[in-house]
Amino acid sequence: MILTSLLQLSDWALFIGRMHPLLVHLPIGFLFIALFLEIAQRFGKVAVTEQTKSFVLLCAAIGATLSCVVGYLLASEGGYDEEALSQHQWQGIGVAVFAWLAWLVTSVRLPEKTGWLSLLYFPAFGLSVLLMFFAGHLGGTLTHGDGYLTQYTPNPIRTLVGMPPREESESGGEIKPLANVSEAVVYTDVVQPILATKCVQCHGSSKQKGDLRLDGFEHLKKGGENGPVFVAGKGAESGLVKVCLLPVEDDQHMPPKGKPQLTTAQIGLISWWIDQGAPTDKKVQELEKNPEIAAHLEALGTGGAGTTAGGPQAKPGVDLSKITVGEPDKNDVAALRKLNLIVSPVSKDQHIMEVSAINAPAFSDGDMPLLQKLSDQIVWLKIGGTEVTDKALSDVARLKHLNKLYLDRTAITDNGIDHLNTLPNLEYLNLIGTKVSDASVKKLADLKALRSVYLWQSAVSDSGIVQLRRLRPDLHVIGGLSAREVQDFLSAGKKDSLGTRTKAE
Amino acid sequence: MSFYRELENHVHEQLSRRNFLSRTSLGLGAAAVASLLNADSWGRAPEAPGAAEEAAMPLGAPHFAPKAKRIIYLFQSGAPSQLELFDYKPKLAEMWGQDLPESVRKGQRLTGMTAGQSSFPLAASNFNFSRYGASDMMISELLPFTSGIVDEVTFIRSMYTEAINHDPAVTFFQTGSEQGGRPSWGSWVSYGLGSDNRNMPSFVVLLSKGRGGDQPLYAKLWSNGFLPSVHQGVVFRSGPDPVFYLNNPDGVDKAGRRRMLDALAKLQQAQFEKILDPEINYRMEQYEMAYRMQTAVPETMNISDEPDYIFDLYGEEARKPGTFAANCLLARKLVEKDVKFVQLYHQGWDQHGNLPRDIQTMARSVDQASAALIRDLKQRGLLDETLVVWGGEFGRGAYSQGKLTKENYGRDHHPKSFTIWMAGAGVKKGFVLGETDEFGYNIVKDPVHVHDFQATVMHLLGINHEQLVFKHQGRRFRLTDVHGKVVNEILS
Repeated sequence: MILTSLLQLSDWALFIGRMHPLLVHLPIGFLFIALFLEIAQRFGKVAVTEQTKSFVLLCAAIGATLSCVVGYLLASEGGYDEEALSQHQWQGIGVAVFAWLAWLVTSVRLPEKTGWLSLLYFPAFGLSVLLMFFAGHLGGTLTHGDGYLTQYTPNPIRTLVGMPPREESESGGEIKPLANVSEAVVYTDVVQPILATKCVQCHGSSKQKGDLRLDGFEHLKKGGENGPVFVAGKGAESGLVKVCLLPVEDDQHMPPKGKPQLTTAQIGLISWWIDQGAPTDKKVQELEKNPEIAAHLEALGTGGAGTTAGGPQAKPGVDLSKITVGEPDKNDVAALRKLNLIVSPVSKDQHIMEVSAINAPAFSDGDMPLLQKLSDQIVWLKIGGTEVTDKALSDVARLKHLNKLYLDRTAITDNGIDHLNTLPNLEYLNLIGTKVSDASVKKLADLKALRSVYLWQSAVSDSGIVQLRRLRPDLHVIGGLSAREVQDFLSAGKKDSLGTRTKAE
Repeated sequence: MSFYRELENHVHEQLSRRNFLSRTSLGLGAAAVASLLNADSWGRAPEAPGAAEEAAMPLGAPHFAPKAKRIIYLFQSGAPSQLELFDYKPKLAEMWGQDLPESVRKGQRLTGMTAGQSSFPLAASNFNFSRYGASDMMISELLPFTSGIVDEVTFIRSMYTEAINHDPAVTFFQTGSEQGGRPSWGSWVSYGLGSDNRNMPSFVVLLSKGRGGDQPLYAKLWSNGFLPSVHQGVVFRSGPDPVFYLNNPDGVDKAGRRRMLDALAKLQQAQFEKILDPEINYRMEQYEMAYRMQTAVPETMNISDEPDYIFDLYGEEARKPGTFAANCLLARKLVEKDVKFVQLYHQGWDQHGNLPRDIQTMARSVDQASAALIRDLKQRGLLDETLVVWGGEFGRGAYSQGKLTKENYGRDHHPKSFTIWMAGAGVKKGFVLGETDEFGYNIVKDPVHVHDFQATVMHLLGINHEQLVFKHQGRRFRLTDVHGKVVNEILS
């Protein structure tokens, strides 16, 4: 006792204590040997002397006792569920006590060998083995967390033993994608799943390392033995974030080396949530986010229609980086270049391209079929100021990834606009100086992906522009500066009264 | 002549025949690369052995899809005072005439022009500020037109630099190094992205002056440095001959010029095969470009077709070639022609003394045209993919240089904080980043270093600033040296 209390005061206690998971396998092994010998002997497979049995049991009893002492030291470190720990402790002690008893019966030479004492052998040995199973299982639970053993039980076996069918969300370490990121509650749907998969094993209901639980907001708020783990509004200064950012070799680094680590995105998201004041009820769309965070959030989604991390004010556009197309045929590219078209890559590692007719004013409807060969790759098409007519737009309609289209200063009319509704990625449409009129307002409003349309010097009237803005409040409709707007611009500048004021001061 | 013979002999001694052939094919590959266009993998001939290094160079394609296809940089040379224009500091009025507390300056290095001053009396702005736009940005009455476009603009009030004098500071902004000799920003962009118009250079420089007698500018600011010379900035001057020596001399017609260039090309090719210097090819490419520019440039520089209301918008000064307003109008015409990098320099912001008088002259010379440019680009559908930047090389200090009176004062250089603005492709509309202390002296929130700013603009252009490198004299160089962090906060 003096020894243990002395040990408790030093690192030695912890050092030796941590040997417990190692040491417990000794009595388990010896008890198993004893068990197997006993069974094999029944079936006449081996001849075992009492002396051998006795020796194995002695080893088991010594091992169990040592395990108990060392286990006690480990428990003194704290951080375990009290009740489970106490059960485990008594079961362990039981293993040792009954192992000693079984050994005693086999080894002590009594006058009458078949006396009442020998009746104790089987109950003592049996109890020792049985308790070993319980203690072993509970010990595993204390180390790895509740349900570790059966987490991956396949559903057929679950039905056999009457366990509830396995839920997807338990699929260890995996976080279920969110159907609608912007509607997701940041704490419940983003932060808690990260903690649940990476932290709760040691900081949860069955184990509270450092007196810290991370399996609920109230526990999080309470903090651990070193005080609070986060400062609302200051992600970077919060312990929760800091320990994850320490080098993995650092003793303070969490999760400990060897355990599954948080990804940079996950650390970023937790830090962001704390920056935003660590709210428990706010949705993703209600909080401010920089593009990096928005990207992390978007990655949590299923990629479905509901995944708009930007919130209502910032409708995310078409992400060109997501477009994957094959390499264009060099001859097709060369054919376009022969027409003086400029064909340039839009992004180095993709094969999407821009085609510009800035040096090819003679480009016309007849040349359009050449573009079809690259209908996958062309995302930006600049054919303003060329000879093209409405007929060309039926070919343009087949450029399936088209994202920007310049038709300015061409002979395009309302009829041409009909073709554009097949383009799901079309965000930019330049119709400056064309014959497009009010008859196209409805058609333009129906181009769902469109973000900006330019109608300066077209045949669309001022009231047509107003109508389009009303139909599509999210669309930037730019009609050019009217004479009045120019006057407004100029009169804003005339507030300038500087000529008189320097003297007056 | 003997030098060339010597060089020739040297080359032939050094190269075995096999080596020679592979070098030559690499050289021809380099000739294809030298073209500003078609520098991507789709058009290039199969790579010669040993060309791997060349091929690894990021030429002719952005690293990722760019938000901004072009940039117009309205450089305000001489360093405009942020305290009179953008950074409202009522504390300076409250403490007018009192000494700048040492706790603020903290021994900050000063220029030789004020280091010897016995006192540093705080000078308040002589001009009033009001709030504008959704971002509630405080703008001075010196910039009534700029106040009207606040909702299109991101202001960075927390810029800082390392240089304390004009030349190193401008050079730092434009080349990433305080010492001259590095490629200029526009050359890097031209090198990295190529050109979108085969009849125009991808990097054009326009110069103007708001006042005489200010800080000079040097050709090193638009030099290609160690990059191939096709990427050099081309200065377009006002007047009948916008590009030096571009027009045919009297008595030479277009056909004659063509014959001359063809003959020259043969001579150059012969020389190239002997000397193997890729610069020979770059030079030929420049000759060809100049030939095509002979028609394209006069077309672009002709502003006589512009309607009257455009001159109303940019101001009457826009009719006067060589003014900032005229250059803004030209800048618009150049980006309409898909020129990638249009660099304006406007001189005259160095107000060491007589600040209240001179800054009015300067503000008047830029305010209307800068705002008009934004409005004009927008109505043409160009602001969506053109980035406009407005700013100088550093800021100006909180205390007066020279005698401080109610009517007059001056301000010395101040690298520790200043304001620039950006508008257009890929940046937030109506946004203010950063904050300075109540003296406008030190940055207290979101500092943005020159290299960060460069990294951000490169990012908008689709370039990863860490990957656009050029190997020279045994090391890889880049615009941002070993620094720079993209300022995500301002990206839309």
